[in-house]
Amino acid sequence: MAGGDGDRHRAPKRHKSSTPSKAALVDESAEFDYADDFDDDAHDADTEVKKRDFTKLELKVDHASRPLWACADGRIFLETFSPLYKQAYDFLIAIAEPVCRPESMHEYNLTPHSLYAAVSVGLETSTIISVLSKLSKTKLPREIIDFIHGSTANYGKVKLVLKKNRYFVESPFPEVLSTLLRDEVISRARISPEDSLGAPSFTVSKTSGQIASGHEDLLNGMEIAAATEDKETHSFEIDPSQVENVKQRCLPNALNYPMLEEYDFRNDTVNPDLDMELKPQARPRPYQEKSLSKMFGNGRARSGIIVLPCGAGKSLVGVSAACRIKKSCLCLATNAVSVDQWAFQFKLWSTIKDENISRFTSDNKEKFTGMAGVVVTTYNMVAFGGKRSEDSEKIIEEIRNREWGLLLMDEVHVVPAHMFRKVISITKSHCKLGLTATLVREDERITDLNFLIGPKLYEANWLDLVKGGFIANVQCAEVWCPMTKEFFAEYLKKENSKKKQVLYVMNPNKFRACEFLIRFHEQQRGDKIIVFADNLFALTTYAMKLRKPMIFGATSHAERTRILYQFKNSPEVNTIFLSKVGDNSIDIPEANVIIQISSHAGSRRQEAQRLGRILRAKGKHQDRMAGGKEEYNAFFYSLVSTDTQEMYYSTKRQQFLIDQGYSFKVITSLPPAEEGPNLSYYTLDEQLELLSMALNAGDDMIGVERLEEDSDGKALIRARRSAGSMSAFSGAGGMVYMEYSTGKGKGVQKKHKDPSKRHHLFKKRYA
Amino acid sequence: MPQVMVVARNFMDMVAALPAGKLDMLYDSAFICEAVLRSLPPLAKKYALQMLYVLAPVTAAAMEEWVLDEYAAKHKVAIDKLLQLRVFVEVRDRRRDVSYKMNQKFQGNMQKYLVDGGSLPREPLPLSVTGRLPTPADLEAYALDQWECFLLQLINSSQVEKGSSFSSSMMKTFQRGLLSSRDGEASKLTENGFQFLLMETNAQLWYIMREYISSAEERGVDPTELISFLLELSFHKLGAAYSLNTLTDVQRIAIRDLAELGLVKQQQGRKDSWFIPTQLATNLSASLSDSSSNKEGFVVVETNFRMYAYSTSKLHCEILRLFARVEYQLPNLIVGAVTKESIYGAFENGITAEQIISFLRQNAHPRVADKIPAVPENVTDQIRLWETDLNRVEMIPSHLYEDFPSKEWFEQCCDYARDNGYLLWEDPKRMRLIVRGEFHPEMREFLRRQR
Repeated sequence: MAGGDGDRHRAPKRHKSSTPSKAALVDESAEFDYADDFDDDAHDADTEVKKRDFTKLELKVDHASRPLWACADGRIFLETFSPLYKQAYDFLIAIAEPVCRPESMHEYNLTPHSLYAAVSVGLETSTIISVLSKLSKTKLPREIIDFIHGSTANYGKVKLVLKKNRYFVESPFPEVLSTLLRDEVISRARISPEDSLGAPSFTVSKTSGQIASGHEDLLNGMEIAAATEDKETHSFEIDPSQVENVKQRCLPNALNYPMLEEYDFRNDTVNPDLDMELKPQARPRPYQEKSLSKMFGNGRARSGIIVLPCGAGKSLVGVSAACRIKKSCLCLATNAVSVDQWAFQFKLWSTIKDENISRFTSDNKEKFTGMAGVVVTTYNMVAFGGKRSEDSEKIIEEIRNREWGLLLMDEVHVVPAHMFRKVISITKSHCKLGLTATLVREDERITDLNFLIGPKLYEANWLDLVKGGFIANVQCAEVWCPMTKEFFAEYLKKENSKKKQVLYVMNPNKFRACEFLIRFHEQQRGDKIIVFADNLFALTTYAMKLRKPMIFGATSHAERTRILYQFKNSPEVNTIFLSKVGDNSIDIPEANVIIQISSHAGSRRQEAQRLGRILRAKGKHQDRMAGGKEEYNAFFYSLVSTDTQEMYYSTKRQQFLIDQGYSFKVITSLPPAEEGPNLSYYTLDEQLELLSMALNAGDDMIGVERLEEDSDGKALIRARRSAGSMSAFSGAGGMVYMEYSTGKGKGVQKKHKDPSKRHHLFKKRYA
Repeated sequence: MPQVMVVARNFMDMVAALPAGKLDMLYDSAFICEAVLRSLPPLAKKYALQMLYVLAPVTAAAMEEWVLDEYAAKHKVAIDKLLQLRVFVEVRDRRRDVSYKMNQKFQGNMQKYLVDGGSLPREPLPLSVTGRLPTPADLEAYALDQWECFLLQLINSSQVEKGSSFSSSMMKTFQRGLLSSRDGEASKLTENGFQFLLMETNAQLWYIMREYISSAEERGVDPTELISFLLELSFHKLGAAYSLNTLTDVQRIAIRDLAELGLVKQQQGRKDSWFIPTQLATNLSASLSDSSSNKEGFVVVETNFRMYAYSTSKLHCEILRLFARVEYQLPNLIVGAVTKESIYGAFENGITAEQIISFLRQNAHPRVADKIPAVPENVTDQIRLWETDLNRVEMIPSHLYEDFPSKEWFEQCCDYARDNGYLLWEDPKRMRLIVRGEFHPEMREFLRRQR
C-alpha cells in the first residue's frame, strides 16, 4: 500500500456551481479552433466581433512592462519580446492550450482541460489566478477568475489507485464518493466487496495505525505526533474494463472531480525493482529535463502526455522516465520497425541488461528473465482479439497479469481511441506516459486522451527549439504547378471524379518540378532527399521514371533495410520515395530535404509528421543556433497542382505548422524555363501518354495505400481476399489492351493538310 | 507665361495655377508675398532678393551670366518658377529681346516689409480675455481626435461615439470623390475613398484642402480669398488665441470648417469668441516632401497571417477592417487576420494589393520596422497572388457557330478561322466553334461563298 497517501490532506475548497458559464466558455473556446476558420461566414464573423470587443478592460499603469493580455473568453496574447517572456511562457504552457506561436506574439486558450493539466502538475487555484493577474496588462476579467475557480476547485479530492492489479477509487471525503456513486456510469462500474451484507459501504483503512506499527523506527517525533491522528481513507473498487468510463465521468466537463492518478514509485514495495540507470553520456537537454520535471513534480509519477517535435529526442524522455521509476515498463509503438528502434534506444541510453528487455512482435516473441523488465511491443499486438499462437498467448497472459510501473505509449496521436481502450483494459499500469509530436487530430477527439492517458504535461515551442539549435531550421515552400491543359480538361469531367487525385498528382508540371528539385538538391547541395506520395500509382510511376528506390507497405522488411542502409551510407543513393509508411515509422536521420507530391487530404498531423522527418538537427550546434552561419539547413517542399482541390487541402494541412511559427513561401516558377528540354514529359506526346496511363489505371491502383497492421503470427497465415479489376486478373496490370486515340496533338497536324491532296480512298472516308 | 505646367502637389503649385489677375490680387497681402518667397527654391530666392530694388527690366542674357555655365539647368528651373508664380514678369523691348521685371505689387510689399519690419496678420488676444488656454499637448490631442472623427465619419461607422455632424460644405467636399450617394441610399465610400483612407495623414490633409479650395466657387466663395486666408493661418502662432471679430464672413465660415477637421480649435468666452491654430494648420504651407510628421508605426504582421496592432484608436480598427478580419479589440491592442476573404473585400472596394502592402510597411511597428522585410514575405506574396487570381479571367467578344451540315464544312471553317488567327475554341465532336467577334463579318462572307 502507498504509505504516503494519508499525508495528502487538503483543506476543502469552496465549490462554485458555475456549470452554465463553464458550458458557455467551453463553447466559445471551441469556436476559436483554427479548423473552424475555413467555415466562417460573414454573419458569424460580425456576431463574434461584437462578442470579442474587450476595449473596456482596465489597462494597468505599468502595462508596458507586463507581457500578456487575458480576454474574458479565455483567449490570451503573449508578447515574445517581453523580458518576462520565458517565465510567462512556462506558466502559460502549463495552464493554457497554445493556439499559435509565431515570432512576435503567441495566442493561447484557457480550457477546462488545460486548467486540469495545470493543477495536475501542482499549480493551485490561487497561484494560477495571482500569477496570471501579475502578468496581465489589464485587470483580470471576472469571467476568467470564475472560470479558473470552476475548473480547478475539485482537483485532488479523488484518486484512482492500483493495488495488486485491482483498481480503487479513493478519497478522504466519503460524501464525495457518495456523489460519484450517484452517477449511473460509476455505480455500474463498482465492484461490491464479497463480504458485503447487502448494505453498500466503503472500505475504511486506518493509515496511522499501519504507519505506527510498520515503520516505527523511521518516524521522528513530529511525524509520530501527526501520525497519531485518526485519518481515514475511503474507497471502493471498480471494474478494470470500466476505468476509462469512470475517469471520463469525473472530468471537468461532467462531474468535475478529476481523478488524481499519481504513482508513488519510491514507496512501492510490492512490485519488484528494475535495475536500470541512465548512462553518463545520456544527458537530457533543458527542455527534456523540464518535460520530465512536469511528470515527476513532487517525487511521484503523473500520467499524461508530453508533446515534443520530431527530432527533439522523445525517445530519451521515455527512457529517462522509465529509469526514474525503475519498475517494469511496457512500451507500445505503432509497428515492428518502431519496436526495434525503441529496444535499441533503451539499450543505447540506459544500463539495462539485454536479458531484461524483450520485444513482442509477429517476428519476435521474446521473454525477459528475472522479476522485472521492459517489454516493447505494438498496440496491435496487445489489442489483437483473434486467435493467437501458443507462444503469443503465454506472453499476452504475462502482460495482462503483470502490474506495470510505467506504460510508455509512442505516437499517441495516430492510435485509434478504441485501441487505447482495449490496451488499457488489458494492461494494468500505475503510470501512463504518452509521447507525440502533434497532439492534433482531424476528428477533434483529442479530449479522449485526457481520460484515456492523462492531461498534457508539456508542449515544446517549435520555434524556441529552432533558435536553440536543438532542431533543424527548415525552409518551407509550396510549389505551385499549373495543370496542363489536357490534364485539367480531364480533371473537370464529371466521369473522372474518382480519378481527380491521380490526375492532379500526375500533372506533368508537378513531375517536372519534382525532377528539377531532386536534381538541384542532389547535384548542387549534396542533400539527402525523401519524396512522399500517398498515392501508390504516383509513387511507382515517379520512382520508376526517375530510377530511384521506393518503399511502401508491401515492401519486405529485408528490402526496406537494404534501401535505407544504402540511403544512409552510399553516395550513389541520395533520394528515396516513400509512401505513407514513412510518415512516422522509419528512422531516417540523414535526410534533410522532403518533397511532397501526394498527401492524405487535409491532414494537419501528416504534414507535421512529414516535416518532422527532417527536424533532426545536423551539423555543428553553434551554426544552428539563432544567428548562426546556416540560415536554413533543411527544406520542405509541397508540390501543389493549382486550381484543383489540392490547393484547398494544402492550405488546410499547413495550418498546424503555420501556427507553430513556420512560414510557407509560395514558388510559382519552377522549374525554370531554360530547364524545359532537360526534364521528363517535355513534349505533348509524352504528356498525353502519361494521361492515358493515369486514366486507364485500375481503381485499386489509384487509391490511397492501406497499410497492413502488425498482428499475431497465426492471423498472418489466413488468406486475404481483395478486390481487383478484370484487367488485373487477365495479367494486363502493366499493359492496357484498350485501343485509344492519341489525342488532339496529332489531330492538329492533320488539320493542316489540304483535303484536296488526300488520296481518293481516304477522302471518301472523311466525306 | 509659365513654360511648365505643374500638377498641384502643394499649396504653391495651386497658387501658380491661378490666373494672372487673381494672382496679382493675391499679392496685395504682404503675408502672401512672404510665404511665396519662403517657398521658392534657393536659386530663385536669391534672384528675387537681388531684384528687389531693381526697377528696370533685366535682360535674360544678362541674368544668365549670374551663374556658371554648368548650372544653366538650375537657372532655368528657377526662372520658370518665378514666372509661374508671377514674381517675375516677362517683357519684350523693340528688338524682341526677352527681359524680366519684378511684379510691382510683390516688389512694393517686400520693400515695405524690409523697411518697416514684419507684423502678424492679427494680434493674439491677451490672457485676461481668454483665461487659461489649452496646452500644446492638449491641442495635439484635440487635433488628432477631430481628424480621426472626421475619418470615422467618412467610413460611416456606427461606432462613432461623438455625435458630431459635419457642415454641408464639408459633405460636399466628401462627395466630390470620396463618397457616393443616391436618393434613398446611405452614403458609402467610393474607390477613391477607400484608397484615401490608406494614405498618409499629410497626404490626406492636402487632398481635403485641395478639394475644399477647388469647390470654393461652387459655394460662392472666391478661391483667392480662401487661399490667402489659409496661407495667413500658417503665420499664426501655434496655441495662441485670435478673435473671430477680426475675420470676414468668408473667413469665419472657413474657420468653422477647419475646426471640424482639427486644424483650429474654437472657444468662447463671456464676450469674445476666438480660434486657436493647431499643428495641422501651421503645416499647411509645407509640401508633402517637407512632412515633419513622422508618426510611429503600430502594426505587426506574422507569418501565419495574424496581425497585431498596438493602437487605442477606433479609427485604426476601422482602417484595418478594410482589408483584414478584426477578431479582438483590447484597450491597446487590435488582433486580426489577413484572409483571402478580407483581402478580396478590399479588392472589391478598389484597394490594390500594393496599397495594402504599402500601408502595412509604412505603419510597421518599430520592433519589426527594421527587419527585412518588415512584413513577412509569404504574406506580401500571398496578397499579390490573390490579386493576380482576380485578373486571370478576361472577356473577349466572340461568336459561336454550330449546326454545320457536314464534317468537311466544319473543318474548312475551323481552318479558315485558325489560319487568320481568330479561332478561340472548337469542339470537333459536336462541330461547334467560337471565333472572335470582329471576325464575324469575314466568317459570314466565307460561309456564303461555301454555300
